[in-house]
Amino acid sequence: MNQIKAFISQKTWSPYLAGILLGIVGLLTVLLANTLLGASGAFESIVGLIGKKIVPGLFSNVYWGVEGGRAMPVIRPEITWSVILLVGIFFGGTLAAFSSHTFKFRFNDDAQWKRIIGPQPWKRWVIGFVGAIIVEYGAGIAGGCTSGLAISGGMLFVPAAFLFMAGFMITGVITALIVYRKRY
Amino acid sequence: MTVSSVIIALVLGVGFGFSLNKAGLTSYNNIANQFRFTDMTILKYMMTAIVTAMIGLYIFRGLGWVTFPTVPATYIVGNLIGGLIFGVGMAGAGY
Repeated sequence: MNQIKAFISQKTWSPYLAGILLGIVGLLTVLLANTLLGASGAFESIVGLIGKKIVPGLFSNVYWGVEGGRAMPVIRPEITWSVILLVGIFFGGTLAAFSSHTFKFRFNDDAQWKRIIGPQPWKRWVIGFVGAIIVEYGAGIAGGCTSGLAISGGMLFVPAAFLFMAGFMITGVITALIVYRKRY
Repeated sequence: MTVSSVIIALVLGVGFGFSLNKAGLTSYNNIANQFRFTDMTILKYMMTAIVTAMIGLYIFRGLGWVTFPTVPATYIVGNLIGGLIFGVGMAGAGY
């Protein structure tokens, strides 16, 4: 029992073990809900839901669907299954942080980030915000993110998943080269 | 949406978030270092997850327990360009 406790309270597990856990979660998603894991679509659903309330004209398009239109929207602007999943992801991450006693409100405390980019929290926030926009935009074009397309697609042998992975590795390495330059 | 499907989504989400945190993918350095090839956590994690789910899925389909859901669409240019844009944000912000 104590061994199990000690195991759960480890800060990180072997990535293989955590990967197996995610694989089982992905498998259960198909078995129990007959859908696929995904995170980026949930954000788009929430944005569509809010946007349709505030500026319906702007959000009435092919992507979020036209009111009374016959075509299925790419993203359903409602509380979808993956929005609930996203809530679960938040609590799961929090739970894991509590389990390893690493839960803490932090603004910018990553040693590597401080060394390379700077200790100011605003830099972390601005780059984080802009980066998130880029990530979500890319995910929107590709049709999914690392979880919804790469992992969920990968486990079904969908070519899109492997194209997407190749894509983000290429520019990821280039971006890292630009950011880190000589320290790469 | 039924109550049971909400509960299933929440429980699976908790599992997902838990495994992400335990893999260490909630910290910047693990994501950034993947693109410097000094830390292979992301690839180990993703590939293990894919292979595990893949084995299970095909066994379950063989047993007739599951039918595969609609797969993500493949449109070569879109997937690739989306991925290329995604990589900039992922490596830059480290999320």
